[in-house]
Amino acid sequence: MSTTTQTLAGTPWKQGIKDAIPLLGGYIPVAISFGLISVQSGFSVLETILISTFIYAGASQFLFVAMAASGAPLWLVVIMTLLINARHVVYGPNLSPYLNHDKKWLPLMHGLTDQIFALAHARLPQLPEQARIGWYTGAAVLAWFSWIVGTALGAIAGGELTQRWPLINDVLPFALPALFFVLIVPRCSNPLWSLTIILSAVTALVLKISGYPNIAIPLAAMSGAALFYTLKNQRILGEQ
Amino acid sequence: MDSSMWLALASIAIGTYLLRLVPYLWMKRSLAKRQTEDGVGSMPTWLTILGPTMIAAMFGTSLVPAHPDTLSWFATGVGMLATFGVWTRTRSMGLPILCGVVAFGMVTLFLPI
Repeated sequence: MSTTTQTLAGTPWKQGIKDAIPLLGGYIPVAISFGLISVQSGFSVLETILISTFIYAGASQFLFVAMAASGAPLWLVVIMTLLINARHVVYGPNLSPYLNHDKKWLPLMHGLTDQIFALAHARLPQLPEQARIGWYTGAAVLAWFSWIVGTALGAIAGGELTQRWPLINDVLPFALPALFFVLIVPRCSNPLWSLTIILSAVTALVLKISGYPNIAIPLAAMSGAALFYTLKNQRILGEQ
Repeated sequence: MDSSMWLALASIAIGTYLLRLVPYLWMKRSLAKRQTEDGVGSMPTWLTILGPTMIAAMFGTSLVPAHPDTLSWFATGVGMLATFGVWTRTRSMGLPILCGVVAFGMVTLFLPI
């Protein structure tokens, strides 16, 4: 990935918002679905919005609502939802070399979702150090608000919305794979990294199709890393 | 929601936040310590590998359509080709994504007719 420092045309937070706009195509439809399902599971509109505001983690929110509605023991609900989010432990350390000692980073970690991590991992190294916190704030806050607003829309009028505008559910979510693609493809700069990226992506895809969506990301990432080390030690595909 | 459900919600919210915050603080402290000890503060290699592979894995899971039938897979393929084609020309983010979504949408909406 390019690490060339870029100058910004506008303010950093505006650039962050601009860079995060493609995320909305993935966030809003999923948030609308969550809002709809949560209300149908017996949570009120306000409770549904609070879940999205404070938990702010897609897969675990769906699991929380589903398990709570089915009457599962609450201690099990807590453990299972946190296990799904365990993959997040890798995100902060990967970004830490690019973040300064500003205390504002502490609350901003609430916004460190899968997508914001992917975006920040690609963009932060390209930005001047003083612009990074502004950029991250713009990107993370836009993503958070879109998740909350999408949830509210889904909780209040989700059924009608998806019926009237099927595009919301059918087409917009493609923005997410397209975003991940443009973030990861610059990494494929040599055969070693190309094979590592391809194996990680294909393993994740196969695991998700096979019915293991929650372990797909960590397991696929670890298998990719294992391949990287194996090939690197054999010194046949070039260095990092 | 009753009080036990609120407690569960608060536990998940705080737990998720800590899962994002604590490893960041740990690495920040570890980097500072290494810099003091040997003048160089670098991350463990395995962590620098795991970052990109996590993003590649997210890409892989996000490729699976909500209703995985032949048309959806075909639309996904066309959308990815359009995204890649525009990316090779522009090396930017916004336009390749927009073109990919439009190509995906055209196949999804107009091919069945």
